[in-house]
Amino acid sequence: MTEILAHDANGKALATTTPALFKETVAKKGDTVAMRHKDFGLWHDISWREYYDTARTIACALIDMGLEKGDRVAIIGDNCPEWVMIDMGIQCAGGVAVGIYTTNAWQEVEYVINHAEARFFFVENEEQLDKWLSFRENALSLKKVIVWDTKGLREFSDPMVMAYDRLVQTGRAMDTAAVDARMAELRPEDLCVLIYTSGTTGMPKGAMLTHGNVTWMAHAIEQQNRIDNRDEVLSFLPLCHIFERLFSVFAHIRHGYVVNFVEKPDTVMENMQEVSPTVGYAVPRIWEKYYSGIRIRMTDATWVKKLAFKAALAIGHKRATLKMNFEKVPLYLEVLFNIGYFAVFRKLKKRLGFDRLRVAYSGAAPISPEMLRAYQAIGVRLIEGYGQTEGTGVTCTSQLERVKFGTVGRPLPGCQVRIAEDGEILVKSPGVFVGYFKDEKATQEALKDGWLYSGDVGVLDSDGFLKITDRKKDIIITAGGKNITPQYIENKLKASPYINDAVVIGDRRKYLTSLIMLDEDNVMKFAQDNKIPFSTYGDLTQNSQIKQLIQQEVDEVNKTLARVENIRKFSIIPKKLYQEDGEVTPTMKVKRKKVYEAFANLIEAMY
Amino acid sequence: MLEVKNIETYYDLIYAVRGVSLSIEEGSITAILGNNGAGKSTILKTIMGLIDDQPDKGSIEFDGKRIDGKDTEAIVRMGISYVPEGREVFEELTVRENLLMGAYTRKNRKEVAGDFDRVYRYFPVLQQRQNQWAGTLSGGEQQMLAIGRAMMSRPRLLFLDEPSLGLSPILVQEIFKIITAIHAEGVTVLLVEQNARMALKISHTAMILENGRFVLKGPSAELMEDENVKEFYMGVRSQDSAKGYQRWKRKKVWR
Repeated sequence: MTEILAHDANGKALATTTPALFKETVAKKGDTVAMRHKDFGLWHDISWREYYDTARTIACALIDMGLEKGDRVAIIGDNCPEWVMIDMGIQCAGGVAVGIYTTNAWQEVEYVINHAEARFFFVENEEQLDKWLSFRENALSLKKVIVWDTKGLREFSDPMVMAYDRLVQTGRAMDTAAVDARMAELRPEDLCVLIYTSGTTGMPKGAMLTHGNVTWMAHAIEQQNRIDNRDEVLSFLPLCHIFERLFSVFAHIRHGYVVNFVEKPDTVMENMQEVSPTVGYAVPRIWEKYYSGIRIRMTDATWVKKLAFKAALAIGHKRATLKMNFEKVPLYLEVLFNIGYFAVFRKLKKRLGFDRLRVAYSGAAPISPEMLRAYQAIGVRLIEGYGQTEGTGVTCTSQLERVKFGTVGRPLPGCQVRIAEDGEILVKSPGVFVGYFKDEKATQEALKDGWLYSGDVGVLDSDGFLKITDRKKDIIITAGGKNITPQYIENKLKASPYINDAVVIGDRRKYLTSLIMLDEDNVMKFAQDNKIPFSTYGDLTQNSQIKQLIQQEVDEVNKTLARVENIRKFSIIPKKLYQEDGEVTPTMKVKRKKVYEAFANLIEAMY
Repeated sequence: MLEVKNIETYYDLIYAVRGVSLSIEEGSITAILGNNGAGKSTILKTIMGLIDDQPDKGSIEFDGKRIDGKDTEAIVRMGISYVPEGREVFEELTVRENLLMGAYTRKNRKEVAGDFDRVYRYFPVLQQRQNQWAGTLSGGEQQMLAIGRAMMSRPRLLFLDEPSLGLSPILVQEIFKIITAIHAEGVTVLLVEQNARMALKISHTAMILENGRFVLKGPSAELMEDENVKEFYMGVRSQDSAKGYQRWKRKKVWR
């Protein structure tokens, strides 16, 4: 079905299953460093050989315990070497790996385990194990639960539960012939992973990705922007999401760079400084957060520094605007930019751990073009990638020096993009998935004649660049019959340093309104600087001066919008949005429906 | 009565209080709760003028008059008194001398004599030991002495920094009973505590401080019912592990 698609520089066909690709890379890389992790303040190396041997040992043990080809195996845990070793172990054994978000409540974990009919379940620690204990009677498909961090479990014993170390130990004593056979048996059309989409709507669906899908993507991702074995990345987004999985697993075993795991989910900033990755990737929320940090740092600087920053930023901004509109940058501007870069931005980048960054990606949710430009202006080459899990993550990215304002770049080589009559973006590529697991109806809606119906609306411009306007089902039709794309307006609002998130409302209403979530750090700073007394975040959201501040920001955005698109009223959400409350996804995308429900009274009060 | 607006305090390069505002109404008991290092004591010390050149930013008003930047002595004269964490009695002075030190800012001898009686009424044990060195007192007695010493300046507003520290449960109850009694006589109280249960019980308003910022405030009765406060400050588990015990903690989320 799937042909051999990728070739290396010498024209040799590349492997089309992950175990085969893994084997090739390990043969080349041997004892060089594959990944690093930090323990008690020290970074430790893990070599390719060690990675490969451990993964195969896990595969051995799993096969011995009865894992059949195509069986699902679930993993829950924060990013760490064990996670990817287990992931590759499952794949080498011919199993299908299913990642689950650590932030999920046990009910959600139960849903995924049962829906995937997982036979084995790898859990990170006591906390995650407790989730399984809460639903064990209802998860009959499971044969064994394996814990890799057994702290606090010395007293605990259960015939269903096994320590990871023991699993590895027993696996080591076994003959690897069974794994060799399983690895050789795999075909590109076999299932590799199930990725449960976090889903801004309804129950999660399990997207089925094949070995052919992911190995093609591992190769294709490099076509627009170089990645090679000298690169370093920092792994901190959830590994069960395709974005992180692509960089920490699939592209990693293809290109042989170094993956560095953050110590804890909340040490990203420190670890970023220490590692200083050469290829960066994060979700928009994180890029926005970093940018807020830069702004705060600058307002606290001495006036000389402030002045220098302001001047350099103005130059950088002008240059970035020209570049992003594909206009020629005059020589004098280029010279000025370089002076500004050396005097100001170089040091700034060093502080943040961005000094070695060759390319940085933003993905998993739309980022505002203004935010991209702001990064381009300070000399951080941030580009947007567009895609969805169902297309193995990436459909379009920009090339480094060809970032076009307001677009997500051009389709990856080998990827076809078509715009349907109603504006929906359709994708056909070797990365397009084979369907949702046990969900024929959803599969038929998403896949027609080999085209993936993305649910996004957009246009291809004359240069072949794709511009996304909105999610199809998010489009608002006002009472006056006007079609409005809320995302466009929301992104403009989010570009304000004081606004962290915005949700535009107006479907079947007379005019548009918005719910606004404050940017805690910047608004607190504003309050401090302007002597506005407050005790808690909640107080800030009620403060009249803060409301005025947001009104100004909204007014600024309104000026750039057509009359019907103007935000007539807004309300500040009196609390922060949390994944635990179901208001945002694990990658911090706002779930519209939940927010509409939770703040219905605020919304009604605006009409 | 006391209005603290947007204060920021540094210990050298350490940014300990990151923008704190609070207002205390006359006749109330307010509690500030928080873990070690949250900045609770720093707030009290900043208000008392005990940290040189601080607050770095913000203003503090007592009865409508600015007191930030004033000497501690002047602040005490205006009617604020402070019981430091760990009592800090003068160990080589007698109990009586310690109390006299508390009356340092006072001139009227007759009144001071009356105040001795008042303190001895609260803490009869101090009278029994009035000629003993303070260093020879037990921890509980030292705490009583420290509170008594603070009362000797006839404060209208009393700051108490962890009065329950290192005391047995019965003594803690005793001390809190006395704090309530002092309050009943018309003294406004600001209490910094780690013993959340006791502090919430006797206070009207409570605030939770974390990393130099307030994350939660409200009537104490409401905070006592808050899931996060229960779990992280009172040791009540909101969810139990199916295996009967658990080592991990739920992540804290302040809404």
